[in-house]
Amino acid sequence: MSDWSKVTRPIPVPNEWTQPFWDAAKRGVLELQRCQNCGHFQHPPYATCTQCVSTDLKFEPVRGAGTIYAYTIMYHTGDKRFATAVPYASIIVELDDAPGALMAGNLLNAEYTEAKVGRRVEVVFEKLNDDITLPQFRLADAASG
Amino acid sequence: MPLPRQEVDATTPKYLRDKYAIAGVGETTYTRGSGRTTRALGTWAVRNAILDAGLKPSDIDGMLDYSGGDSTSATFIAGDLGIRLNFYMDVVGGGSSTEALIGIAIGLIEAGCCKTVAIFRSMNGFSQVRIGGTGARSAAPVSGDMLHNRAYGWQSAGQSFAPTFMRHMYDYGTTPEQVAHVKMFHSRHASNNPKAYYKKRFTVEDVVNSRFICKPLHLLDCCVETDNATCVIVTSAERAKDMKQPLVLIRGVVGRCNKPRLDMHYQHGPISTVAGHYAKNILWPNSGVGPEDVDITGSYDAFTFTTMLQLEDYGFCKKGEGGRYVSDGTIGLGGRRPNNTSGGHLCEGYTHGMNMVIENTRQLRHDADDSCPVGPDGKRQHTYDYREGGCRQVRNVEVSANLGWANPATASAMVMRRG
Repeated sequence: MSDWSKVTRPIPVPNEWTQPFWDAAKRGVLELQRCQNCGHFQHPPYATCTQCVSTDLKFEPVRGAGTIYAYTIMYHTGDKRFATAVPYASIIVELDDAPGALMAGNLLNAEYTEAKVGRRVEVVFEKLNDDITLPQFRLADAASG
Repeated sequence: MPLPRQEVDATTPKYLRDKYAIAGVGETTYTRGSGRTTRALGTWAVRNAILDAGLKPSDIDGMLDYSGGDSTSATFIAGDLGIRLNFYMDVVGGGSSTEALIGIAIGLIEAGCCKTVAIFRSMNGFSQVRIGGTGARSAAPVSGDMLHNRAYGWQSAGQSFAPTFMRHMYDYGTTPEQVAHVKMFHSRHASNNPKAYYKKRFTVEDVVNSRFICKPLHLLDCCVETDNATCVIVTSAERAKDMKQPLVLIRGVVGRCNKPRLDMHYQHGPISTVAGHYAKNILWPNSGVGPEDVDITGSYDAFTFTTMLQLEDYGFCKKGEGGRYVSDGTIGLGGRRPNNTSGGHLCEGYTHGMNMVIENTRQLRHDADDSCPVGPDGKRQHTYDYREGGCRQVRNVEVSANLGWANPATASAMVMRRG
């Protein structure tokens, strides 16, 4: 299993669009930007809806359940802060509630070999510091895998 | 295959088929540790291209170049060569800029801004700003859209592109062994290219047994990082026909054509479909040819699978059959449609696409710079013996296609023909 204990992740810097996402994550809630005009979820947050260019955008909570859409296993670290964790799985997740807003993450609490296209995963929250908590993923109930 | 000589559709002037030419090509040696500035490298490559075209520096009056803040400006290169420019522009860009800037050069000449344009890319891609994303590039703070990758240890080109290949394997049953053939064929080509940085021939087993960088990419699925500069000279066919080299005409160009959502390409459309899916609808109508007319390709090989994905999405095979296409012998010298006959980015050197255009230009001149003997007319007498250290000229090549890649979401391409 990848050892994340010695990894010092780069800390995301919120901006005017992403601040509500990070505020929610800090509360342990996954909130994604949703267009109030056409209902489209998008991630990362933008100034406009990429489907209908409405600017009426709000953050709405979503269940963090989804499926691995694609992934890669990192054996070589460009960013040396991740060196102690290799090999580790980085995954792209399609959420059940927001299929148009795929999310990136690492597969935590599992062997990296468990990363497969189609595996069921659920969000977990990894606190990086007092301001930033990172949404991550772990395998959902094995029965649904 | 040969094309009709007179095919000018005056009702579609924007397509400009066969009206412009690549008149000169030049490069530095491909090294790791050039010991030179990008300014010195660039001057060297532009000079070589001018001499290749049989021109004087004063014949160049336009200059374009591209970089990611890792190179020099056209103003320095021109000044160092005693060139006074009527137009120059330094453009931000990496892969896929080559064909795009050739399109811009055509537009500049057509607009009367200048007459003959030198396009260069100068980079110390190994000894200064490493293209693989290690070093200084990995230390910047994470802001904005990077929340989607950097905090998850997800940054380099290979790491970013790998999920596209992984999903292609899932959707279509493509295998690492199939795309490993790209390295095998390109390494065979490079072994017949005295300029290539890596001339060693590799097998499919060598590739799939090399260590993983980011699964499913092995070390030998990844291109080399090198220091080098490269240059192509674009001018009108009317001027080029009186120059030193056999005419190589530009049939059509598509420049930096995108999938929706350039920054997060997988948010829109299948992740295993790349920008060539859209670019093909500009390239083939503009060029008046289709994939079946093309004799050689230069499909960008940042990684083995980028070559495969582009050949597939430009229609050289059906969607999903790219694995078979790159592994059945088609893309090797002696095959139906060889790809990257110089060895490309996997073996010759990394130039953000320039060396593939240079190679196809030489192929269309029927003058690939291999080890074949030079005849009394000063031209190589090609043997078409493609064994190691031998010939790499493709027999009777008439039409080429270059397929440039920046990332899964951005593509440029160009069709050229022998004049």
